[in-house]
Amino acid sequence: MRDPNPTPSYRPRRGTSIPRRFAALVAIGAISLAGCTAAAAPTPTASATPVAAEFPATLVDDEGTSVTIPAEPQRIVSLSPANTETVFALGAGSRMVGGTDADDYPAEAAALPDVASYLGVVMEQLVSLEPDLVLALGNGGETPADVVRIRAFGIPVLVLYAEDVSEVLADIELIGAAVGEADVAATMTDAMQARIDAISAAAGAAGSRPRTFYELGAEPEIYGPADSSFAADMVALAGGEPITTGSTTAYSISLERLVTADPEVIVLGDAAYGATAEVVAARAGWAVMTAVKTGAIRPVDDVIVTRPGPRLADGLAALALAIHPELVLP
Amino acid sequence: MNAGAAARPTPAVRLGRLEALRHRPILVACGGLVALAVVIVAGVALGNVPVPVGETIGILAGRLLGWPVTATWPASAETIVFDLRLPRVLTAVVVGAGLAVAGTTLQGLLRNPLADPYVLGTASGAALGAAIAVLIPVRLALLGFGLLHLLAFVGALLAVAVVWRLSRTTSLSSLTALLLTGYAVGSLLAAGLSVAMYASGAQLRQIVFYLLGGFSGASWPQLAVATPLVVVGSLLILARARSLNALLIGEEAAANLGIAVRRERAILLALAALVTAAAVAVSGLIGFVGLIVPHLVRLLVGPNARVVLPLAAIVGAVFLAIADLLARIPGELPVGVVTAIVGAPFFLVILRRARGGYEV
Amino acid sequence: MPNGYELSGVSLAYGKRTVLDGLDLHVGAGECVAVLGPNGAGKSTLLRVLTGHAPERRGAVHLDGIPLEEYSRETLARRVAVVPGEASLPFAARVEEVVALGRIPHEDPFRGMRAADHAAVAAAIERVGIADLVGRDARRLSQGERQLVVLAMALAQSPRMLILDEPTVHLDLRHQVDVMELLVALNARDGVGVVAVLHDLSLAAHFFSRLILLDHGRVVADGTPDEVLSPERIRAVYGVDPALVRR
Repeated sequence: MRDPNPTPSYRPRRGTSIPRRFAALVAIGAISLAGCTAAAAPTPTASATPVAAEFPATLVDDEGTSVTIPAEPQRIVSLSPANTETVFALGAGSRMVGGTDADDYPAEAAALPDVASYLGVVMEQLVSLEPDLVLALGNGGETPADVVRIRAFGIPVLVLYAEDVSEVLADIELIGAAVGEADVAATMTDAMQARIDAISAAAGAAGSRPRTFYELGAEPEIYGPADSSFAADMVALAGGEPITTGSTTAYSISLERLVTADPEVIVLGDAAYGATAEVVAARAGWAVMTAVKTGAIRPVDDVIVTRPGPRLADGLAALALAIHPELVLP
Repeated sequence: MNAGAAARPTPAVRLGRLEALRHRPILVACGGLVALAVVIVAGVALGNVPVPVGETIGILAGRLLGWPVTATWPASAETIVFDLRLPRVLTAVVVGAGLAVAGTTLQGLLRNPLADPYVLGTASGAALGAAIAVLIPVRLALLGFGLLHLLAFVGALLAVAVVWRLSRTTSLSSLTALLLTGYAVGSLLAAGLSVAMYASGAQLRQIVFYLLGGFSGASWPQLAVATPLVVVGSLLILARARSLNALLIGEEAAANLGIAVRRERAILLALAALVTAAAVAVSGLIGFVGLIVPHLVRLLVGPNARVVLPLAAIVGAVFLAIADLLARIPGELPVGVVTAIVGAPFFLVILRRARGGYEV
Repeated sequence: MPNGYELSGVSLAYGKRTVLDGLDLHVGAGECVAVLGPNGAGKSTLLRVLTGHAPERRGAVHLDGIPLEEYSRETLARRVAVVPGEASLPFAARVEEVVALGRIPHEDPFRGMRAADHAAVAAAIERVGIADLVGRDARRLSQGERQLVVLAMALAQSPRMLILDEPTVHLDLRHQVDVMELLVALNARDGVGVVAVLHDLSLAAHFFSRLILLDHGRVVADGTPDEVLSPERIRAVYGVDPALVRR
């Protein structure tokens, strides 16, 4: 039988009643929080005490949806590797119960049960983990129907999507607020922002701003950053002039367009898939590009450059060095 | 007759022979219903996450029958069994039945064994509708349905309406006109779909998942809307089984048997389109079922639509429920892939062994 | 008292082309007639008029004293059965199932065939003499056998009149004779009226006692074979040497 009197700190969604176990978990969580922190912990019956109490929290995700998180999440599921990294970096990794099959950093993340893959979310597994917070990826990363579904089960879902570097930092702070580590997040983002600014300044002072093509792939078509995309933003910050596909939605660029743009530097984001300077130079029609003539073809670890997570500053540094090898970074 | 050498069985005996064949459909029906029950139970009991059988029964007894059972299982198990698995299995059953009935109807209507529910543009219309829904930055959530389901449904029906309207202006014989117009309109819509997919950017995955078909999004509200459409549509088709039978020997002969051919064709087409649209709106484009199940059933019991339609519904339901189970256990495979992998060899075996029975 | 078909002043034109031109005809309910004529004479169109598939015609057509338009499709199908010339089946069907289609005008739309319907089917099968074909796939029969099957189907409609459009076109001589004999027997023994469009003059003359000769949409001769197929008539209508027609 269902608990007919759910604790007042819950607000049942759309008529589905909240399972009893969540109530038990919150009670345990509340008690352990009381033990761990000096601040007053939210008790199930008391209204939120001022200042230090962070939960229940109402946050607005990147899609503009208002999401209420009733208590500090103890069973976090992440549906994208970036979100997983962020949660671990904030020190809440021990509270994660599920991730994706693409989670590779830190090492503990790979050991998490996978509830999502490129093919989508496996609902049964997600539900069986009884999460109290789900961090999803927006803009087509998760299907909207899946997000609606998870929310219909009474599980708070934050949909995150960063279109440029500043939004990445905002997302880290949002996740910080969601998992109850807002202070840690603020410190982290401040440090990241400072480092990014320093790298950007150093790169800007390098004296040149080469036309840079960030290669995402070359088979069967050439893939590069779309206009105003995240990768383009990173290249600009790293002191390069990004060559883009000419459209905001298409990631493929024709060889003609690329040749006309004549990159001075080619950064191999697909280095992990076998692209090397020799391979690029051997491609038909590419020899005419400045970058190929001068040999300015350099690999990077695409993961840290494009993953909108806590290692972004590292990625920017790597990218800046790929564009300006002579740079000395702080 | 004039070679009247052999002794002919008396009319009474011959009548007996004709009557004896009537029992086979009942056997198939009973077998099918038993299989359906087994598959539904299996579909609810099995999944990615193991739920003990005792808990499954308890959950179902509590939620479906209203028994006052004390929950000894985690709430997540209840969500999994009752909110995820049960509606999914039942949706597969309803969609399988609907597609099989629609396929039977279209094959009879067009007098073409290669027809399936999608042959007159339903698939292309639904796909284009879904693609447009994905591209439009409007989010609609109504009774568990999103914009995608709505536009897929509307797209399917509109496509058939367009095909019907256009086919009447040609000078070809009506069936040829229908088929060719369906092909032309379908191709045009598919081109539109390609454009939409190209322009979709990051949303492409959603469109592709729709095209591959699947039941991962199945929910009770969707089932509640799709089921009456499929059931009522199928019953109305069954009520017109006579017309489908008459069309066996041709349109003119059917007219001579007292069937209002043009009217019946329009009505049957509309009903089949409605059932198909309801099916594709909730499940995407799942192929194979509507094409193969009618043939399978006809191999067993002959072409009488009055018998084939209900049996095809049962067999289609079982088939798709099994396919969904097989698709979901290893991790979300698209159901359409499973239906082809499971169905094709099975059907080939049946074809080879069909000697004493009906041949395709 | 059923009195068959009564046509008066029936005309039919496709655009500028006149196919039937003021045709008057009476075919009694139990009569057995053959309709002859060269191509384009209007024979098939005449059949379409009789079966009610020519709404664009002018003139009056009565069946058993009632205007044809007043018959519902089903009622007409119970009185008049058309034997299709070609029957192509998209799916496999047993002979008895094809014959059973003839019961469609009679059967209950929801419950289907009942005992009486099955009996009619069995009777039709026996009457046409294809009992040895029962159980076989109708698609795998020879053309002659298939023609008998559709004839049995028409017979299963329990009609008062059979209409046939060139039933012997694809048949070999033996089967042509079979069909003709059957038609005559059905008419004589069972009282079923027969209106058959035939192309073979000799066959028609041999088996039918009344011939109707059409030319350019009109009845140019109506009577016994001797009367209708006179040498002058043959030369005038068909334009061939009368000696080609053996009787």
